[in-house]
Formats: sequence, C-alpha cells, structure tokens
Amino acid sequence: MIALVAIVAVLLVIATAVQILKIAELRATESGKEIYEISAKQSKAQAFLLMVFLVAYFGFFAWQVWKWGGLMLPVSASEHGVGVDELMNITLWFIIPVFIITHIFLFWFSYKYSFSETRKALFFSHSNKLEMFWTIIPSVALTVLILVGLSNWNKIMTPISSETEHVLLEVCGQQFMWGARYAGKDGKLGRASVEYIEGVNALGIDVSDENSKDDKIVKGEFHLPVGVPVQFVFRSQDVLHSAYMPHFRAQMNCVPGLKTQFNFTPTITTAEMKEKTQNENFEYILLCNKICGAAHYNMQMNIVVESKEDYEKWLAEQKEFGAE
Amino acid sequence: MTTISLDNIKYKAEIRQKTAKPLLWIGLISIVMFFAGLTSALIVSKSNSIWIKLEVPSMFFISTILILFSSLTYQLSMSFTKNNQLKFATITTILTFVLGISFTVTQFYAWQQLYQSGIFWAGEQSNPSGSYFYALTALHLLHLFAGLISLLVVVTKSLLKKYSPTNVLGIQLSLTYWHFLTALWVYLFFFLKFIA
Amino acid sequence: MSAHQHPHEEQDFLFKYVFSQDHKMISKQFLITGFIMGFIGLSMSTLFRLQLGFPGESFWIIDFLLGSWAENGVMLPDKYLALVTMHGTIMVFFLLTAGLSGTFSNLLIPLQIGARDMASGFLNMLSYWFFFVSSVIMLISLGVEGGAASAGWTIYPPLSALPQAIPGSGLGMTLWLVAMAIFIASSLLGSLNYIVTILNLRTKGMTMTRLPLTIWSFLITAIVGVISFPVLLAAALLLVFDRSFGTSFYLSDIYIGGQVLEHSGGSPILFEHLFWFLGHPEVYIVLLPALGITSEIVSTMSRKPIFGYRAMITSMLAIGFLSAIVWGHHMFVTGMNPFLGAVFTFTTLLIAIPSAVKVFNYITTLWKGNIKFSPAMLFSIGLVSTFISGGLTGLILGDSALDINVHDTYFVVGHFHIVMGLSGIFGMIAGVYHWFPKIFGRMLNNNLGNAHFWITIVSSYGIFFPMHFLGLAGVPRRYYTNSEFPLFENLLDINTLITWFAILAFAGQLIFFFNFVYSALRGPKAPQNPWKGNSLEWTTGVKHIHGNWPGEIPTVHRWPYDYSKLNENGDYVTGEDFIPQIVPLGEGELDGGGH
Repeated sequence: MIALVAIVAVLLVIATAVQILKIAELRATESGKEIYEISAKQSKAQAFLLMVFLVAYFGFFAWQVWKWGGLMLPVSASEHGVGVDELMNITLWFIIPVFIITHIFLFWFSYKYSFSETRKALFFSHSNKLEMFWTIIPSVALTVLILVGLSNWNKIMTPISSETEHVLLEVCGQQFMWGARYAGKDGKLGRASVEYIEGVNALGIDVSDENSKDDKIVKGEFHLPVGVPVQFVFRSQDVLHSAYMPHFRAQMNCVPGLKTQFNFTPTITTAEMKEKTQNENFEYILLCNKICGAAHYNMQMNIVVESKEDYEKWLAEQKEFGAE
Repeated sequence: MTTISLDNIKYKAEIRQKTAKPLLWIGLISIVMFFAGLTSALIVSKSNSIWIKLEVPSMFFISTILILFSSLTYQLSMSFTKNNQLKFATITTILTFVLGISFTVTQFYAWQQLYQSGIFWAGEQSNPSGSYFYALTALHLLHLFAGLISLLVVVTKSLLKKYSPTNVLGIQLSLTYWHFLTALWVYLFFFLKFIA
Repeated sequence: MSAHQHPHEEQDFLFKYVFSQDHKMISKQFLITGFIMGFIGLSMSTLFRLQLGFPGESFWIIDFLLGSWAENGVMLPDKYLALVTMHGTIMVFFLLTAGLSGTFSNLLIPLQIGARDMASGFLNMLSYWFFFVSSVIMLISLGVEGGAASAGWTIYPPLSALPQAIPGSGLGMTLWLVAMAIFIASSLLGSLNYIVTILNLRTKGMTMTRLPLTIWSFLITAIVGVISFPVLLAAALLLVFDRSFGTSFYLSDIYIGGQVLEHSGGSPILFEHLFWFLGHPEVYIVLLPALGITSEIVSTMSRKPIFGYRAMITSMLAIGFLSAIVWGHHMFVTGMNPFLGAVFTFTTLLIAIPSAVKVFNYITTLWKGNIKFSPAMLFSIGLVSTFISGGLTGLILGDSALDINVHDTYFVVGHFHIVMGLSGIFGMIAGVYHWFPKIFGRMLNNNLGNAHFWITIVSSYGIFFPMHFLGLAGVPRRYYTNSEFPLFENLLDINTLITWFAILAFAGQLIFFFNFVYSALRGPKAPQNPWKGNSLEWTTGVKHIHGNWPGEIPTVHRWPYDYSKLNENGDYVTGEDFIPQIVPLGEGELDGGGH
C-alpha cells in the first residue's frame, strides 16, 4: 500500500514538473527569447554564485578543521611515526596553499571575466615562458617531497638487526580475529603452517619444532614494552587481512602463504596516552584494514604499552606453548 | 536523400579497404598484452620457493616445426594468388589448414605427455609451474582456433574462386593473423623452454 | 545493413534502433545504458550511506528495495559489502568507462575528425551489444543465491575465490567474472575502432595538430585501454581457473571452514600486480576523456583558444605513459621490496607535473575570456576544482611513507571519489549538456541544469570532503559500521552529515534525469550550432543522417580554437568571434594559435 501511494505521488510530482517546465518555456518563447541563449545577466548571476561557492567552500574547510580537528588521531606513539607526522605536515603545508591559491584564481577569473556584450576575449593561445614556469615550479616542489619521503620510507622499512634488543611478535589474522605469539626466551618463533591447525592449536604451530616450545600465545590483547623495538611478523590463515595500528602509524598486509614484516618502537605507554588524550577509556588498537568478509568491521585486538618491568611481569604470567 | 544512400555503399567499402589492416594490427597488440600479462605473471610466480622447473615435452618441438611450416605454405599461397596461379593457391591454403590441424593434434599429444610424466593441470598434486604450461598453450590454441576458422573461410572462398590478384584483402588479413600465431607460439615455446 | 535496398527512412525499427551500426545511434545506446547503470550504482551508494549514517536503524526503503538482503529494515553485513562492491564496479566500469568513452568517443570521433562513420560499424555494434549483455549479467548477479560479488571491486583473492569466505564469492562472483570478461571484450572492440578511426579516417586537412583535444584524449584513452585491459582479462582468467578448476595461481596455505585447502604455491600478491596494472591506468581511462571534453567546453564557452594546446597534448601523453608504471602505489603495504616502493613513489609523484600543467592551462584559458556560463561550463569549472582538490591529496597517498597510515582508510575513499569519481562524472555530465543538441537535436533546460550543478557540487563536496577527516582519524574503508570501536565513537556525527549530503546528491540527480528525459522528448528544437563552436560536428545538420555530411566531407583549414581572433584593426577576422575549422586561412594568417 505504501509503495502504491509512493508511486502515485512520484507520478504526480513528475506531471507537475512537466507542466511547470512547459509554462516556463512558453513564457520565455513569447517574450521573443531563444530559451537556450545565455544572456550576460544570467552569466553574471552564475558567476556571482561561483564566488559565493568559493567562500562557502573555504568556510566549510575551516569549519571542519575547527569542529573535527580534535577528533583526529592523537600524537604518534611510535618513534618512526613522529617522522611520518612531520612529513605529513610538510606535505600539508605545501598542499593547502596550492589548493587555496589555485581555487582563488579559478573562481576569481570565472567571476571577473563573465560574459559581457561589449568586451572581446583576448586571443592568447600559448606562452612558452609561462608553461616552462609552471612545469618547473611543481617539479622542484615534488623533488623536495620525494626526497624527504623516501628518506623516511627507508628508515621505516629497515629491519631490526638481530643483535639489538627487541621483542619478536607474530600476528596472525583469520576470519574474524587476531592471534598473537611471542617468540619466548630463545627469541625464535617456531615453525607454523595451516597444516598443523588442529583443535586448540588454532595458530597452526608445529609441535615438533624445538623453537616453538617456549613460544607464548596470547588472546584478546597483547602487551609491548615502551622504548624497545618490536619486530612484527604477519601471517594469515585464510584471506587477506591488514594489520593496522593507527596510533603507531603502522600497517602491513597479512597474506596467506607469505610472511610479511614491520617494526616500530613504541614511545608512549597506554597510561600516558590516557592523560594526553584526556580519555579514561583510551586503548591502543589493532584492527583489520583489508576487506576480509562479513565481519570485517569487527576484527580487533587491544594493545597495551607499558613499562618494561610491567611488560616482563605480564609476559611471565603467560603460558608457554609447550606447557599446554 | 538518394545520393546519400548511394554514397552509403561506396563509403563503407572504402572505409573497409582503408581500416581493415590497422584494426587487425591493433587487435594483435591487445593479444600481445594479454600474453605479456600471463608470461610476466609466470615470472612473478617463479620467485616462489616451491616452483618446479619443468622440461618442455618433446611433442612441442614437432608443434613448432609444423606451425613454422604452415606459415611458409600460407605465404606461398599468397604469392600464388598475386601471380594469378589460383589453383596452386587453393592447394597451398588447404595444406596450411591441414598443418594447422596437425599442430592442434600435437598439442593434445604434448599435454598427454605432460600428464603421463606427472605434471597436472590442477588439484592437490599440481604445481603452478605445471598449470602455467597448460594455461599458456591452451590459450594460444584458443587463438589458433580463430585462425583456423579464418583459414576455412579463405579455403571456401578460394574454392569458389572469389579471389583475384587485385582482391586479396581477406587472405592478407588471415595471413597476418596466422604469422602472428606462429610468432606467438615460437615466443611461448622459447619462454617455456628457457624461462619457466 | 543494406541501405541501397530501401531508402533509410524506411529501415526497419530493428536495424535503426537496435542493431544499428551508425555511430550516432550507438553513442545514444551507450549513453542511455550507461546512465541506467549509473542510476543503479548511485542508488546503491545512497542505501549503504543510510546504514553508515544511521547504523542499525531500520528503514522502510531498505526493506522495500533490498528484500532478502535486509532484515527488519537493516541491511546485512555481508550484503553491505555486496552493495559496496557492485557500486564500485558499476560506477568505475559501466558508467565511467563504457558510459563515458562509449558515448562521447562514438559521437565525437567521426563528427569531429570528418569521417562518415567508425572504421568498422559492425565491430562498433558488437562493442555496444557486448556492453549491454555484460550489464544485464551484472544486474542478474544481484539476484542470485548468496548475493552479488562481495569482495570489493578489486576482487582480491582469496576472498573472491572462496565461497566459504563470503557467500557472494559463489555464483555472484562467477557472474561478475563472466560479465567483466564480456565487458573487456566490448571495451577492446571499442578502443580498436577509436584508434583506427582517428589514425586513418581524418578528412582532408585534419592533421594531428588540428584535432580537437577531445579527440586527443579519446585516442590516448583508447591506447591505454588496449594496453591494460587484456592484462585484467589475464588476471581474471587465472582467477577463474583457481575458482573453477582448482589450480593454484593465487592461492596457497589456506585453512578455512575447518579444513586445509589443497591449493599450494600461489600468491594473492600476483593478482594485485596484474589487477593494478589495469587498475591504475583505468583511473586515467576515466579521467582523460573528461579532461578532453572539458578542455573543449572551457575554450568554447570562454570564447578563447585553449591555452597551451600542445602542452595539453603532451601532458595527456605523459599522463597516459606514466599511468602504466605506477601501479605499485596501491601495494605499498603488501610487504613489497622497499626499493620497489621507492621507485613507485617516484613515478607516482611525477604524474603531478603534467596534471599541474593542465590545471594552470585551464585557469589561464579563463583569464581575460568572455565566459558564458552554460550548465556545461559550470560543470567544467567544477571539474577543474575537483581535479585540484582530489589531485592534491594524491601527493599524500602516493608517498609511500605517508601511505602506511592512510592506506585503505576513508582518506583514500575521499581522494579517489573526488579526483576520479567526481571529475569523471562532471566531465561526462558537462559533455551531455554541451552535446545534447547534437545527440538529440533538442536543448536541455538551462535553469534546471544550473540547479542540478549547484546541488551536485555542494552535496558532493559535502560527502567526500569530510571523508578525509574520517581517514585521518583512522577509520578503515569497507566497514559496515564504526560503532564496534570506542575509538570511533565521536565520529558518528561526521557520518550522519555525509549521509544527509548523499541524500541531497541523489535528489539533485533526479532533477537531471527529469530534465534529460523531458528535453529528449519535448525540449525546444536545437539550432545547428548553439554554442558557436568551431569544430566540425557543428557543420552537420541537426537531423542525423548516415554518413554525417550530405555530399562531400568538408575540408579543414585551421585548428579548432580560433575564438576571438582579431585582425590588425582590432576587429574579428570574420566579423564573428569564432572561425569554424572549415574556413580557409586568410592571407598571412597563421594557423594553430599563431597571431
């Protein structure tokens, strides 16, 4: 019934619109105008609206920054993340002025040179000087951005050398949860493969491998010591997942059949971050950022960053794999 | 209006004369990209640890000789037509067709050889390297079927004496495509032999 | 078609309207099919915006339209993904590739270069009918068991390969792959025709440097298509093999649904490489025609030559070339070799240079012009604005170090919808407003057109600009709802605002569809050259005839941008502010923008 009423209503609206349009066109034709002709007055009106739009657009931008600026990710909680944020700021300081200036020119020229019967447009078809100018300027700016960007990229992507003290942690994705495994005392992760998945051995760890005996599997959340580099190894059991830890500016895909890696050094503990964000409930989080199925939107694991002592205490309480 | 209708027939024939060959060539470029995509996929897959290096089955050598020979006979048929020796042209075209069919047969034998030596297309015991072998050759064969159909058309038309030294566009197109198939096969053969 | 047997007025309906080989009719068919698909894609996005803006709330319309995909007026999580996937596929391929290129390449290539028709009318007809069949299969896939494909428009395996992973990867994905294979065939047939027609069938005097920029953009688009679409076909075929025959090109070490799959030795990353080798050029397949169309409109409506004609061509060539070597920037976080990442960052950011040149040239074309604001012109200005707004954020995403944190977040969604979605759509709509008189012989209503523009630009920035903020707050894309995370609690307001703008945008398009249908049937009759343009299509009659020009095809004597050209006395050379391409050069007059 509702559908029927809706359809009738839509038909009525269309019929009315047709009639109105017809009347409007008849009136225009009677007054002797070609209705598709665009008069100087009409052009001016649109040009004026373009200027209004320009102001509104900038206003909307500023309003969003003012209103939502505080909701953005807090200060980076990892060492390399500070560099990423700096690079982001440099890029933004380049992008935003370009955005504003080009828009001003675009809309100002549209407004200023809107149609007039008396003026003639300038026949100006090319200028090598100008074109050189605006090829070279972006090239120089981009060279700077590329160089700064790449030096950051290289820093982020350099693996930790095995001699430095670090935590080795494996994160494994499956529909729709995360599993985490610490390398244990020997600092080595035991072999793992989907073939070994059975019953409680949900991560598919090879029981016969000596290295796996002291591995520690944790659920629900994993802890990291502040100031110590963490070497992550990522795996997936079924489809692609992506381990995304926004507060640490870290992300890496988890690929079935392939091990990927990433490392960072946490710099701010959860407790400190609670203070900084003035949010009692603040938690670091690991979430999935690659479409992986129906419950993709709800695949998360908490991360706790704490002092090295607390971390070691917590880790000692976790069971070793071999003990199960 | 009648003048336009008359023009109509004329311009269509003219357009065809002018554009048939470039259309074919650009079509060939897209086929090249298709196989380029597949062969570069193979190169990427090769870096995987469980990749197995395979021997090219001996039957593929015979395929290669057959298809090279068929290109030669087809080219001969073209020059016979141009010299107005239409009977020889028909014979060589039919010979080409027969060679094309024999090529197809050797492909099937080659797959049998592969299968018997334990290289499977799919399933638990298969390896991507084997699957690529089958996929690449089968997709080439699929394109060859289109070539065989064009050959059939040319054979029929030459039996019906539709061609003359000045009217060879149809043969020309089919010939170009056939040479392309030969070149593609030779590329795939060497690719499978030395890269895969 | 045998026109000599009956005069073409008497041609049967079937050959005139259905199996037509005439480029103008095929163009109309592409336009209308494309718009119907576009409308479906748009409606889908409005529906899933309801879920995002008001998560978990019940809507009568969702129950009504989605049926078994919803429960109590709330769409199901996996069907949300199906909607997102189909929205992306339809918009990118069916509206902005086939709808845009198919319509305008078909309409304008023969008309603007002075050709009787396309190189092969038959292949051209096939191209449309493949597109039509592909569209129908894609729509049928919405109704099959398990639902339509739900693995995202990028259909990354293993998700797209395994029905155990998501129901949409069953029959729905099979149909998706079939539809796309046919679509690729359609696109290739079209591209072949466009390239050969442009290279071989230009009229006398139409040198490559006298071609309108529209034609240049269609040419480069078609070349990019011929090079990249076959690779997508290869990628899709290997996926079909994996899905249907049990090969292991993309699959390895998978445990799902309680069992280990027998696939081994493949890699999903391989699919990503093959997919994005098309996927990135595809962005420019969408964008370049839009840029070509608006270049033409901006010049005509400003009554000025396009500034830097040769630089515009060079930029498009550079963009076309670079587009083929940047695909890796979609894969910075797949664990690719860091050095490779650096190379892709470099090539990606290089694209900014030709893009910047294009923007500055647009702006300089406006400078000291005499601009008439038709709806087409407004949309063209809108395109320049979206091209800037969306292009600049590309500098962030293209930089591998920055991409780590914004990859696959709403920042990306905002970026590509503005730079590719909006620019593509604005270019297409601008083209429809500008060439409607050529397509249907009638005029669109300007006032409705203006209203359509203002609603569209305001609402689309209202939708996509805030998405950048969501992305910077760390919200991943393709999430059914954000309410599962305390982290995103405060962001619901943003999502609600976006949804309101989405509803407004949808309403705005209804105005356009109304205007379109009304004007095509009842609109005022168009004059031959309503915008006083120079290019050849305006020398043909309003009524469509086969072969386009009765008698001889006109000869071309000059480039298409002689607007407001003055002689020594400061008067217009021909007394009017435009000189069509068919007017011979005067004594001592230079061609191609020489004064």
